[in-house]
Amino acid sequence: MLSQSSTPDALVAEVNARVGAAVARPGSRRDSIDGVAPGIVATPQTATAVAAMLAWATETGRTAVVRGGGTKLGWGAPSGSVDLVLSTAAMNAVDEHRHGDLTATVQAGATLAETNAVLSRHRQWLPLDPPWGDRATIGGIVATNDSGPRRQRHGAPRDLIIGMTLVRADGVLAKTGGIVVKNVAGYDLARLMTGSFGCLGVILSVTFKLAPVAAASRTVAVEFSDAARCGPFVADLLAHSATPTALELAIPPTTMLVRFESVEPVAVEQAEQAATLARGLGGTPTILIGEDETAVWQAHDARLFDREGTIVKLVILAGELSSTLAWLDDAAQTRQLDYEVTGRAGLGVLYVGLGGDVPRQASLVTALRERIPAGRGSAVIQRADPELKALLDVWGPVGDGLRIMQEVKRRFDPTRTLNRGRGPGGL
Amino acid sequence: MDDLFLAELERIVGPDGLVRDASELLTYESDGLVRLRERPAAAVLPDSADQVQAVVGLCHRTKVPFVARGQGPGLSGGALPHPDGVLIVMTRMNRILDVDIPNQRMTVEPGVMNLDVTREVESAGYYYAPDPSSQLICSIGGNVAENSGGAHCLKYGFTVHHVLGVEAVLPDGELVHLGGEALDSPGLDLLGVLVGSEGTLAVVTKVTLRLVRRPEAVRTLLAAFDSTDAAGNAVSDIISAGIIPAAIEMMDRTTIRAAEAAVHPGFPDAEAVLIVELDGSRSEVEALFAQVEAVCARNEGWGVQVAMDDAHRGRIWTGRKAAFAAMGRIAPSYYVQDGVIPRSKLPEVLRRIRQLEVESGLTIGNVFHAGDGNLHPLVCYDDAVDGQADLAEQVASKILTFCLDVGGSLTGEHGVGADKACHMPKMFTAEDLETMQLVRAAFDPDQLCNPDKVFPTPRLCGEVPGPYRAHPAEIAGLAERF
Ligand SMILES: Cc1cc2nc3c(=O)[nH]c(=O)nc-3n(C[C@H](O)[C@H](O)[C@H](O)COP(=O)(O)OP(=O)(O)OC[C@H]3O[C@@H](n4cnc5c(N)ncnc54)[C@H](O)[C@@H]3O)c2cc1C
Repeated sequence: MLSQSSTPDALVAEVNARVGAAVARPGSRRDSIDGVAPGIVATPQTATAVAAMLAWATETGRTAVVRGGGTKLGWGAPSGSVDLVLSTAAMNAVDEHRHGDLTATVQAGATLAETNAVLSRHRQWLPLDPPWGDRATIGGIVATNDSGPRRQRHGAPRDLIIGMTLVRADGVLAKTGGIVVKNVAGYDLARLMTGSFGCLGVILSVTFKLAPVAAASRTVAVEFSDAARCGPFVADLLAHSATPTALELAIPPTTMLVRFESVEPVAVEQAEQAATLARGLGGTPTILIGEDETAVWQAHDARLFDREGTIVKLVILAGELSSTLAWLDDAAQTRQLDYEVTGRAGLGVLYVGLGGDVPRQASLVTALRERIPAGRGSAVIQRADPELKALLDVWGPVGDGLRIMQEVKRRFDPTRTLNRGRGPGGL
Repeated sequence: MDDLFLAELERIVGPDGLVRDASELLTYESDGLVRLRERPAAAVLPDSADQVQAVVGLCHRTKVPFVARGQGPGLSGGALPHPDGVLIVMTRMNRILDVDIPNQRMTVEPGVMNLDVTREVESAGYYYAPDPSSQLICSIGGNVAENSGGAHCLKYGFTVHHVLGVEAVLPDGELVHLGGEALDSPGLDLLGVLVGSEGTLAVVTKVTLRLVRRPEAVRTLLAAFDSTDAAGNAVSDIISAGIIPAAIEMMDRTTIRAAEAAVHPGFPDAEAVLIVELDGSRSEVEALFAQVEAVCARNEGWGVQVAMDDAHRGRIWTGRKAAFAAMGRIAPSYYVQDGVIPRSKLPEVLRRIRQLEVESGLTIGNVFHAGDGNLHPLVCYDDAVDGQADLAEQVASKILTFCLDVGGSLTGEHGVGADKACHMPKMFTAEDLETMQLVRAAFDPDQLCNPDKVFPTPRLCGEVPGPYRAHPAEIAGLAERF
C-alpha cells in the first residue's frame, strides 16, 4: 500500500537514488492493473538495478508487480493497490544462442517473437506458441508456464527450461540449473519459479532447450457435426502412431486442427492418414499448406484470446474429453450462457470462453469444479472481469499442498512484496 | 536411540518391519557407492503410507533424522544412512495400484522397479520412457528422488517429464499430494522441485507416471571414427542438423576393446564408435536415418553397421552396456564420474581428457551419453601401486573441473548425494545454494529428512573421495553402469 507520506514523485526519487540511475517514473492510468494505477513504474536495465529496487521495496514495505509485455496482468487474482511496477522491457536481449548445442539464454524482457527471430537465423526456435507471441515476454510466459498448440509435441516452458537467473525479493541474485541439457546438480528452482506468477522472485534470464525448425508442415482441419466425435478421433490418431505437433479442438462449430511438422514426405503422409481417419468418423477434412495454413492457425489463436470475455483454463484427463464437452454444452445451455472451447485435445488442456450473465458464469465454474475429482483436473479462471473475480476464487481448490506453498512463499518473500495475492492459491 | 523409541517404531511397522540386528543392518550401510558406509541406528520396512507417516511423525516429534532408501543402487551416496537415524526402506511398498491405458497413466508405490512399469503395459503397446541402465534393480521412488535418466532421455526427457503426481509424507508427518493425474495442477510446481531433490524434502509414497506409446519403428546404427574429435563433431552435426535421435552413445578405443573382449559385439577396432538410434513413425525414421548416415560419412565415419533385426540391435546395445563392467579387465580399480558438458564441446573436452591421460600415465576410458553431453570417464588405476589411487583421484577431479570450465555440470544423472556435496561450491555461489536451502527450510525446517546430502557440510566435506567399486548387482550381471 502506498503510504500517505510518499507521493509518486518522492518514490521515483527514492528508487532512482537507490539504483543510481533514472529508471522510475510515476505510474499512469495506462499502467493500471485490474483498474488500479500503480504508484510508480521502473524500467531497470541491469540485474543489479533490479536487485537494488527489490531490496528497496522489501526494506520499505512496498508492494511490487513485475510486468513483461503486460499481456497477462489481468490473469490471477486482483492485487489491490501496487506501489511499484517493475518492467522488464529494457532487459530484452537474446544473450547467447548456442546453436551447436540447440540451447539459448534469453533475457526476461525479450518477446517470444523477437527471440524466435534471432534463433531462426540458425533454423531453430524456442518451441512455444502461447497467445500474443509478438508481445508476450519470455519472463511472463515462464512465470505463467503458458504455452500453445504445439505443447502437444514440445511441452510447456517447464519442460524446456534448463537454467535460470533470478533476483529474490530481498535483492539477492541467484541462479539454478545451467546451460547443459542434462543436469541434476542441486534443487531445480527453475521449475519452482515456472508458473509461480512472479510471487517468488523476478526472473532475469532463462536458458532453454530449443527445437529445429521443421522443413515442412501440413495442417488437417476437420469439421465434425458432433463434438462427441472428437474424443474417438484423438484416440484413433494416437493409436495409429501419428506424431502431430499440435492436436487442437475448437467449438463451435466442432473443428479439429491437427498439425504435422517434419520432412516433407512425412508431413504429407501423416496428414493424409489423419484425413482418412477423420472421414472414417464422419468428419470433413481439409489439408492446408502455406498461407492457408498460417491463416487458420492465426484465426485459431485469436479466437478466444483476442476478444473480451472470461477465459477458464479447464484441465481434464484426455480420455474424458467427450463427456466433458457434453456436460459443458448442457451446463451452458441451462444457464443461457454463450461458450466457446479451444485447446489441446490430446493433452486435456482446454480454454473455455464464457459470455453472459456473470453470476451464472460463476455458477457454471463452481459446478465444473465440483465435477472434477481431486487430482484429476482443474478449472482456473485465467481472465475475467473484476466482477467475476469478486464472486469466485480464481484458482479454485489447490489441494493439500497449499500449506507448503505458503511456507515456500514465506521463505522467499516474507514481507509479501512481490505480486502480493496474485500467486497461485493467493500467495 | 532409546528403547522407548524403538518400541514405538516396532509398534508402527510390526516386529518383522524393524531391523536392528547389526549383521542385518549391514545390507543397508551403503548404496551403489560402496566407499561411503554408515550403519543406521535402525531400519524400518513400512508397508503403507500410514506407516511411513507414523514413522516420520515419530522422528519429527523426537528430532531423530531419517533417510528414505529405495532399492539402493544410487551412485552418489544419496541413501547413505545417518548413524543416529532411522533408515526407511521402501521395498515393501511395491504394488502397482492403477493402470489407466486410455489416459496413458499408471499409479504405483515407490518400491516398484523401473522395468516392472514397462513390463506391466508392454502388451498394450506402451512403455515407461526413462530407462536408467539400472532399470532392473532401481525403484521408481529412487528415480523420482534422483530425476533419473537413461540412454533414451535425449529425446524423451528425464523422470521429471514423466511423473505427473506424487503422494508424499512431509518431514513433519503430514501427507500431501503434489501434481496429480492431470496436467497443470494449480499452485506452485512443488512436484517439479521435489523430483531430483534426492530424498531431502519428503518421503514419496505413491507416484503417478505417464506412459508412452511404443514407436512404430526403431533403427540403430553404429559408425566408427578415427578420432574422438571426428565422432564428437558428428554428434554436434546431428544435433545442429535438427535431428533428435532417441539415443546417441559414444565409446572410445579403451572401452571398445574392453567391451569386445568381454561380450564380442563385433565392434570395429577404432578410436571411437557412435551408436545412434532413431525412433518414430516408419517414414520419419527412414528419412532421418539417411541424414544421420550422411553426417557420419561427412565426418569420415566408416565400418557402418545398421541393425537389421532385433538380434543385431540387441548385440550393439549389449556391447555398449557391457563396457563399464568390462573395464574391470583393464584395471583393478577405476573412478567414475558423471559430469556434463555442452555437446558442442565434446571434441575439446575429450582432447583435454586424452592429454591428461598422457600426462598422468593412467588409462582413461570413455563411454557415455554423447547426445546430451553426459560424460562417464573411467580413470583406471592400481591400488597396489604406491600413490596411484591419489593420482587417479586428482585426475578424476580435474576432469570435473574441465566440465565446469566449459559451462557444464557436476552430475547428469547420478545425483550429488553425499559424494559430490563438497564440489557444489565449484558450480554454485553461496547465494545460489542459500536460495535452494530456502526450499529445504520450507519443507524441512529441522533438517531431519536425509541430512548432509546435496549441500556441503563440514561433517561430509572432510572426507576424501575413494575409488569406484563394482556394485554387487553389477558383479552379478544384473545391470551395467552407463
Ligand atoms: C549399475 C548401475 C547403473 C546405473 N545407471 C544409471 C543410469 O543409467 N541413469 C541414472 O539416472 N542412474 C543410474 N544409476 C543410479 C541409480 O540406479 C539411480 O539413481 C536410481 O534412481 C536409484 O534408485 P533406488 O530406488 O534404488 O534408490 P536408492 O539408491 O535406494 O536411493 C537413491 C535416493 O533416493 C532417495 N529415495 C529412495 N526412495 C525414496 C522415496 N520413496 N522417497 C523419497 N526419497 C527416496 C534416497 O533417499 C536416495 O537419496 C545406476 C546405478 C547402478 C548401480
